[in-house]
Amino acid sequence: MAEQIIFYILALVIAVFSIMAVTSKKVIRSATYLLFVLLATAGLFLMLNYYYLFAVQVTVYAGGVMILFIMAIFLTHKPGDEFKTKMNWKVKSSAILSVLGLLLSGYIVVANVTRIINYVSGKEMKMQELGVTMMGTEKYQFLLPFEAMSVLLLACIIGAIMIARKEKNNVESNNDLDK
Amino acid sequence: MDYISNFLFMRSEVSLLAVMVFLLLFDLIAGKKGMKYFQPIALIAFAAHTIWTFVPYEAGVSFGGMYDYKPVMTIVKGILNIATLIVFMQAKEVFDTERQGNKRGEFYFLTMVTLLGMYFMISSGHFLMLFIGLEMASIPLATIVAMEKFSKKSAEAGAKYILLAAFSSGVMLFGISYLYGTVGTLYFTDMPNLISANPLQIMAFVFFVAGLFFKVSLVPFHLWAADVYEGAPTNVTAYLSVVSKGSAVFVLMLLLYKVFGNLIVQWQGILFAVIVLSITVGNLFALRQDNIKRFLAFSSISQAGYLALGIISGTAFGMTTMIYYIFVYVFSNLAAFGVISSIENKTGKVNISDYKGLYSTNPKLSFIMMLAMFSLGGIPIFAGFFSKFFIFAAALEKGFYVLVLIAVINTIISLYYYLLVVKAMFIDSSDNPIPTIQTDNYNRVSLFICTAGIILIGLFGVIMDKIELYSFGM
Amino acid sequence: MNYNQPLELTGLVSNLHEFFRDNLSPFWATLVEGALVLLALLTLYAVIALALIYIERKITAFFQSRLGPNRLGKYGVIQSIADMIKILIKEIIHIKEVDKFLFYAAPFFVIVSSMLTFGAIPFGQGLQAVDFNIGIVYVLATSSIGIIGVLLAGWSSNNKYSMLGAMRSGAQFISYELSAGFALMTVVVLSGTMQLSEIVESQRYAWNIFNGHILALIAFIIYLISGHAETNRGPFDLPEAEGELTAGYHTEYSGLQFGFFYLAEYLNMFIIASIATTVFLGGWMPIQIKGWDAFNQIMWYIPSYVWFFGKAGFLVFLSLWVRWTFPRMRIDLLLNLEWKYLLPINLINIIVMVVMVLMGWTLSDWFPALFGN
Repeated sequence: MAEQIIFYILALVIAVFSIMAVTSKKVIRSATYLLFVLLATAGLFLMLNYYYLFAVQVTVYAGGVMILFIMAIFLTHKPGDEFKTKMNWKVKSSAILSVLGLLLSGYIVVANVTRIINYVSGKEMKMQELGVTMMGTEKYQFLLPFEAMSVLLLACIIGAIMIARKEKNNVESNNDLDK
Repeated sequence: MDYISNFLFMRSEVSLLAVMVFLLLFDLIAGKKGMKYFQPIALIAFAAHTIWTFVPYEAGVSFGGMYDYKPVMTIVKGILNIATLIVFMQAKEVFDTERQGNKRGEFYFLTMVTLLGMYFMISSGHFLMLFIGLEMASIPLATIVAMEKFSKKSAEAGAKYILLAAFSSGVMLFGISYLYGTVGTLYFTDMPNLISANPLQIMAFVFFVAGLFFKVSLVPFHLWAADVYEGAPTNVTAYLSVVSKGSAVFVLMLLLYKVFGNLIVQWQGILFAVIVLSITVGNLFALRQDNIKRFLAFSSISQAGYLALGIISGTAFGMTTMIYYIFVYVFSNLAAFGVISSIENKTGKVNISDYKGLYSTNPKLSFIMMLAMFSLGGIPIFAGFFSKFFIFAAALEKGFYVLVLIAVINTIISLYYYLLVVKAMFIDSSDNPIPTIQTDNYNRVSLFICTAGIILIGLFGVIMDKIELYSFGM
Repeated sequence: MNYNQPLELTGLVSNLHEFFRDNLSPFWATLVEGALVLLALLTLYAVIALALIYIERKITAFFQSRLGPNRLGKYGVIQSIADMIKILIKEIIHIKEVDKFLFYAAPFFVIVSSMLTFGAIPFGQGLQAVDFNIGIVYVLATSSIGIIGVLLAGWSSNNKYSMLGAMRSGAQFISYELSAGFALMTVVVLSGTMQLSEIVESQRYAWNIFNGHILALIAFIIYLISGHAETNRGPFDLPEAEGELTAGYHTEYSGLQFGFFYLAEYLNMFIIASIATTVFLGGWMPIQIKGWDAFNQIMWYIPSYVWFFGKAGFLVFLSLWVRWTFPRMRIDLLLNLEWKYLLPINLINIIVMVVMVLMGWTLSDWFPALFGN
């Protein structure tokens, strides 16, 4: 009972703030609302006794990604800037289409979810088990994705540096063109 | 299997990783003088990798099914390797210049990472691995699309690509999460029996497959293609249109065959619509392009439609023809891009109208371009004809008469615009045609390989037989 | 009552627990216990903050050869209580051009994050509100929310100084959080668990800082430096460098809202010290030497929370010492220190630690008779 109440509260928070994140006119507010969504998701994990996922969700999203978002907004926006969205026919028609799609998908989901699995077993996952699962090579163990992610992240860092790096030659030649 | 043998089982991935690490270290250690030799060494190392991983070995799994190998994958990876090697050869000229020279290390590394991602996509046995492969094949690609960061078009292309890639992978993840919700596993081998065409699974499947359609740039998901192809550096465009597309189509086919076999009625319906749309829309838009990169973008959208036509039959023969089509498409498209790239490097001209009178000044280049166009259009005796023919045959075998009819009509339309380019080069005259161009030896070799491929592949039946040996149907 | 440890609160806590369990339905028992724990934590939070403010002012004064607060009460002991009352009744000034929602929400992020972290600290034997099996990751996770409050405060104030302060703070925090996390992970490798209570238990005869000798010492120093930097104090107080930025991100705040930032800042200092205590210095565990039963027994007579606060107090003092000894750093030096020195050292340190643990080079492996658990 208590769990259900908490679940509904969290679900409500997620739903409301998701909508607010999308509709807000100020980009920093969108980011903040998104943060609430992420934190409420972390709350869901906590309800399921997935402590590790909870901590990762909070660290990675709240502690990492959101700070990067906010820093990026700091560097690119002025305080008080607002989005001006024009509601032309393109936006309207795509909005209508999305709502229709949402209704269809929602109906399919609601009509077809027949079994409700009770995931809340109350059993805590041991950290050691988690570590073995992440580093093992058997079935239901995830060493390969783990390693592949490291290559992906390395590539992202190198790519980002390539884009962000200062290039003296080009700046000068661009200036020459301006003259 | 212990740790080491698990890793060594992934022969091509490990070999590519070794090349990547070697190049990274070389880039780090070699000074200004050493960097002169960077590109030849990179090419040699990559060529060695291509040759060394060309031989198929016994099928099997490692990492408990996370990595699933079938001999046919070696063939596809080999094709991708050859294509990447050709792209590298064509790119050498660009990265010898002062302007882009300082990015050559990054270009090779990032391109190889995307290739590695495609390898993982191709041999994944688990949706997580597939997704990581997909991301690995698209995020670094966005950065090399935006490589010419002082060109607004390139930056815009990079931004568009990464935003749409993120969006499409979001949609795909949404689909995967519902799939997981209905079957409770993400291993490809466990899933087929649990998928029973209930509406929820079909919905999940549609969301999932939309993400892959985006990678392949099939029609409702093609809107990024033209802008990105136009804005990206030409060699990257070549890579996008050939390697990225080829791998994604192959993965799409593998999944449809291996995992979604029970949904065949549904996906055949979806593919039917998508193919008709892709071929038609791609052709119609290609008709009115003047920028040759945009032109090839739309042409490649319609080519993607033909590739999907190979999938729809669901037979081993369909698989064979599709791989064969990719193989031929690699050579034809890269020949065209090689010519475009060398002309753009020397003169900066990218419009079809600039190509007028090209024959009078650059007969060899225009000849190669003509061959490429003929092959893409599917004119007999060139490889493109045979590949189209086999694809149609595979679809006909399963009774898709209407579809094949539409495709044939579209082939005729496409001939018109491919020949427009040929006409511009050979028949139209111009007061100031593009001056005579000296390309470097690497580009020449790449163009020679492509020409040989276009002419010879169609005539050697042994290639088709070899692929057929390893293909499997549903 | 346990006569071996007469001053411990374990008995009291378990008696209370049994009392509620016997007299109330499970639902209400949990609720009442939760409320009591919350109340206790909040009180402790406030009391520690007040004490810290007084101690800091006094120690600062001695460092600077002044007297410090000395009017209110003997040696000025109730000075900070007076300050608290002043801050509570002060008007909260409403500023016109601020982003209202974010401006008012920002202090709560800071205080909530610090409260959440505070709740997981083991203050003494049986005095731990929540004991997750991921303890350390939980602490890192919740403490990382606070910075969002700082960033939002800087942004929503619509003030250059606040904004600059917030940006500096953000850059500083995300940099040093890495080091802090890695330093703690080094100890996780050493003790083989993330649960704070188990970490304390495993240090019965050898504190981690001794058990892992050189490497643990390096990790400890790195953790102190980065923890110090995370709390924006000492030589790392760029975000509120008063000479340049007035007061940094909380320039526009007044009254209780400012009080929140102020409180959280002091508490974060204490939290960093107590995590360092728990992880490196044996937490609430008294000094124990294997075999010396009489000595150990005497040590147990001193209650565990006294040990805890003693050790944490020492670290707090250390932090104040650093604060008044080193001049403020420049932003590039600050980031260099993290990215070019601390982080690489840390990465190598954690790898060497793994090797050390696998090879059995820790003190408890070498001298199981003295330090083995």
